[in-house]
Formats: sequence, structure tokens, C-alpha cells
Amino acid sequence: MSTKDLLDMALRNLLKRKLRTFLTVLGVVIGTASIVVMVSIGIGMNESFARQLESWGSLQVINVYSPNGDNGRYMQDDDSAKDANKNGKKVKLDAVAVESFRQMAGVEAVSPIKNLYLMLGSGKLVADANFIGLDPAAMEALGYKIDEGRALNGEDVKSIVVGGGVEFYDPKLNWEMRMNSEPPKLELVGDKVEVSYDWSYGSKHADKTIKANKFEVVGTMSADGSNGWSVIMPIKELEKIEKAQQEWEKKRNGSSGGRGQKQQSHEYEQVMVKVKDIKNVQAVQQQIKDLGYRATSLSDELDAMKETTKMLRMVLGAIGAISLVVAAIGITNTMVMAIYERTREIGIMKVIGASLRDIKLLFLTEAAFIGFAGGILGIGVSFVTSKLVNFVAMQQGSDMSSSIPIWLYLGSIAFATIIGVLSGYLPAQRAMKLSALSAIKTE
Amino acid sequence: MSQNVIRIKNVKKIYQMGKEHIQAVNGISLNIRQGEVCCLLGKSGSGKSTLLNLIAGLEKPTSGEIIFNKKHIERMNEDQLADFRQKYVGFVFQSYNLLPTLTAMENVTLPLIFKNVPLKERNDRAMEMLKNVGLEERAHHKPHEMSGGQQQRVSIARAFINSPQVVFADEPTGNLDTRTTYEMMDLITAMAKKNNQTLVIVTHDLELAEYADRIVMLSDGIIERIEDKTQVEGEKE
Repeated sequence: MSTKDLLDMALRNLLKRKLRTFLTVLGVVIGTASIVVMVSIGIGMNESFARQLESWGSLQVINVYSPNGDNGRYMQDDDSAKDANKNGKKVKLDAVAVESFRQMAGVEAVSPIKNLYLMLGSGKLVADANFIGLDPAAMEALGYKIDEGRALNGEDVKSIVVGGGVEFYDPKLNWEMRMNSEPPKLELVGDKVEVSYDWSYGSKHADKTIKANKFEVVGTMSADGSNGWSVIMPIKELEKIEKAQQEWEKKRNGSSGGRGQKQQSHEYEQVMVKVKDIKNVQAVQQQIKDLGYRATSLSDELDAMKETTKMLRMVLGAIGAISLVVAAIGITNTMVMAIYERTREIGIMKVIGASLRDIKLLFLTEAAFIGFAGGILGIGVSFVTSKLVNFVAMQQGSDMSSSIPIWLYLGSIAFATIIGVLSGYLPAQRAMKLSALSAIKTE
Repeated sequence: MSQNVIRIKNVKKIYQMGKEHIQAVNGISLNIRQGEVCCLLGKSGSGKSTLLNLIAGLEKPTSGEIIFNKKHIERMNEDQLADFRQKYVGFVFQSYNLLPTLTAMENVTLPLIFKNVPLKERNDRAMEMLKNVGLEERAHHKPHEMSGGQQQRVSIARAFINSPQVVFADEPTGNLDTRTTYEMMDLITAMAKKNNQTLVIVTHDLELAEYADRIVMLSDGIIERIEDKTQVEGEKE
């Protein structure tokens, strides 16, 4: 029997009993739709986590800390770095290490990071802000989101990008007056600003011996997000300012300053590693940890969040699965009924030359059709339901959302069809075993 | 004389009904020749239908051998039997056994569908067969739109479409009136004779036996008498 004849005959048999076929298909539709919608809510949940985390910074970025320093220790939750130290390996987070990270497979950009709290001056106004020094060529890749202007690039030297949350104020005013006045809005892009380590910069207590450095603002970042209160600067410039600051401190305090030891080796406090594909983040992070460094990434957080909701997502999936199981039983029931009704027909087909395989395939095909049709209609229903869920969630301002990726659509059609075939297997086997004679005798 | 297409050797069929054993066929030996019209005649319960089922491979004998073209039917498994029926055998039943959802034409093509014959050829051959039984105008009617005689014609067309070596007919006219019965018998014997196909008819009707070359009379599961008209000419009531 050819495939075309088989499909033709199966379809015809189903259409012969429209209502029953429809009801059975309906069961599969409900089953498929409930699985798809439940899974989509789970996926939507993960996506909203990812979005939330993205607003804190890029998920593809790994923060690497030296095992020797104490930066980032509070984030450390495994002992790999400590183990590496115990083995006597003294790892340094220096230029060599940066280069070794750069060589790792899947790594897109690497930059050392330095944080320093400095003053920023524009005209008569000043602002204090956390300055982040990085490799300007890597800034864009590291996921800093630019609001206006542009990110730093490899050619930038005396350029900075200012976070929208950096608040300028008039240093001549006292605290109370500052709190009561509106913070002035400045159009900074293109302006020259001054950067100084003098905390009294701009006020009457300012140390006139300190020379401020002039920088050009090339861009701004949005006020929300993790870098809203930061100023980004090429790390070389920040290091120069730090050095000047240390020398000034030394001079002022006479003897060695607190930061003196730091200069012994050129070690970075932190290195950011950007991985091209989010799937490789964990692998690269592990590689870095294996070298003896401490490494954290937002994707750790995402995994932790996903882990905590895993149970919820499993329950959602199980609810969907139960309805599909019920649908599968429905298919089996329909097919068994059909065999009772069509005992005679099966007998006739056997007598006039249908092979056992033909009979079996015919029933399996009918069951597969039910599954397939249910799958197709099911994803249609899921699509509408998903949109509805999103609409209602949006109306209520809820963060819950439903998201159906294409693989879920295709997968559920395939799954429903397979469920159909599996449900049809027992009845098909039964039809095949019917004796031709007893089938014909039924009157 | 022509060859034996079916050789039956001491075949027995015993049914178990509760504690009782019923011997439906009780040791029958018979040869059926290629191209003959053979009638298995007997009253209800004589074992004629059981014998037909055994020969056609629809049932397995309790003991004995049934050899069709040197092949042992009683030793075939279900798959081999399906293949055997597809290649060598056609059936006509008392109750027509057409599929109610298919048209006359589709019913006739059904054996060819299972044989994987392409659509075009299938339909051409079916139309040809329907012409032979005089039903080309009813080709696209469903069985319930046709009379009993017409339905039986369709089933005859279906039995012959695959040019089987043997056609089995189980009480083919049992549901038909007298006039139609003769029409049907004329038709079926003519078709068999035309291509030297063997026809095995099971009936309780003496009148039908008139169409046979050989009449095998059965009673209580054994052969009572064989009347061979090719040897005894002109012996009629």
C-alpha cells in the first residue's frame, strides 16, 4: 500500500466520523495547548529574569578577581581559588593573565578594570562619582549601554563617558541648600570637563597645588542600570591620576601612604571578560577558575534564579503533561472503538489482500493524524492564549509573561503526533491480530 | 486433463465447544483442477463452508494438508497468507462485503491498492471490470445506493480484478432473488471460464450446482459423493 493511499484512506476514515474525530482531536488540542502555554510561562519567567539581569549589566560578562586581593570576596561561593592557592600556585591578575583570557575560546573582549572615587568638574559645578577605568577598545563589547553620544573606542585617550545618574552641584552651597534645589541638568556630550582627586575641588578649601586633568565627554549612559552613577575612562589615564594622587598623599603625610604596597606589582583589582555566546559563559568562567582566579558573572545569578523556579516550572509542565496524557487515552479509546466498529471492514481488507502491515499502518496513521491535527490546532490555541496572558499581565503591570520560541511550536506538533502514534499502537496491534474469518462473520 | 491447482489430503477440522468436540470437517481428500467450476454442495452444518475457509487459508485445519500450487497453506503464517490471498485468490461472499464508505469503483480497486498498483492503472482496470459486470454507470455510487444484485456484481468485479488463479464464492446468491441468481451465476461462471480461472462455489442450492463442472456433495464433514459432469454427460433432472 503506497503512502499516499494510506494517508488518503486514513483521512477518509477519520472524516467519516466527524464528531468523534473532532472530540478526540479537541482533547489533544487542550493537551498540547496546556503544555505549550505552561512551558511558555516558564520560558517567559526565565526571559524576564534575563531581562532584569541585563539591566544590571551584560550576562555575557565575567568578572575576574585576583585570589590575592580581597575585592569581590563577598561574591565568592566556591573554593576553587582557595584550592589553587593551597597548591602553592601564586596567580597574578596582571597583563599576562589578561592576555591568557583573551586567548580563550569564545572570548570576545577582555579589559582590566580599576575603580577610583574622584571629583568631576564642569564649569562652576562639581560631582563626585565612581570612576571606572577600562580598556577603551573593549567598552562597547562589555555591555555599557550608551544613552547619548558614543562609547569609548581604542583611539580615545582624554575621553570619558558619564553616567546619567551623576549629579552635579554647586560646591559653594551647603548640604541643606543642595537638597532643596533641583539638580542642574547639563548637556555634557562634547563638553570639556575636569577630573581631580581633590575632594574639595571647586570649593574654597580646594588645594591649588593639584592640577585637574581635562577630559572630553564623548557620551552619556542612562541613569538606570548598574553604571548610572559611574564615569568611564581609559584605564591608563585613571592609573596616572591614581599615581599622582598617591604621590600627593605621600607628600602630605610625609611617610608611605596606605596604598603604597599596591605598586609593587602591576596587578589589577578586576578584569572583565566578555564571552561572545551566552552558552559559553559558564565554560569560560570555569576555565578561569581553574587557573586559580575568582570569577563571577550575572549568568551565575541567572542560573541561581532559574534553579529556584525550576520546581515551579516543573509543576507547570506536569499540569500540561497530565492533560496530554488524558488526550492520549482519548485517542486510544477512540481507536479501540473504531476497531470494534470496523471489525468487519478489517476482515474484508484482510481477505482481499491487505497485509498485516497495511492494517497496522492504517490505524497508526489515523491515530497519528489525530495527534498531528491536535498539535497544529493546539499551537494555534497556545499562540492566542500566550498573547492573552501577556496582554492581561501587561494590563496588571505584572512581570509575568509567556514566550513561545519556534522550537516549542515545532516540538509540540512533533510531540503530539508521536503521542498519537503511541496511543494508536495498542489498537493497531489489536486490529492486526483480528482473524480475517471472524471479522467477516460478524453480522 | 488439466492440472490440480489445489490438493486436499485427509483434512480435519475440529472445533471445541465447551467440553464437546465438533468435527466440522472429518477427513476430506479432494483435488481441484485448474479452470474447473467446482461446487461444494451440502446442507447447513455439512462442513462445506468450513472446508472453503480451510482451502482459502482463512482457518487452519486441525490435521491434514492443503497444497496450493505446491505450497502448503496450512503451514503459512499470517503474512504469507496475506500475500497468498493477494496473489492467487479472489472472494465473493453472500453478504457482498463491500466497504460502505467507498464507491463501487473504489471497492473494486481495493485489492490493487494493497498491491501498490498506481492510481491510473488501477482505475482503468476497475472501469474495465465494471464494464464486464455491466455496472460502468454506477461506478461512482456507494453500495447503499445499489440493489443487492448490483452490489454482488461489484463484489464479483472486485474478486476478478486481480486475475486470481482461484475465486471462492460462499453462497454468492444467498441474498438474491431467483432471476438475479441466474444472472449472477451466468456472469461469474462466464468470467471464470474466459480466463481459465478456477471457481469454487459453496452452496446448499441444487440449482446452482447445475453450473458446476463437478459437484462435491458433503454431509457431516465427509464427502458423500462426487458428480463429475465432464465425464457423465447430459445427466440432468
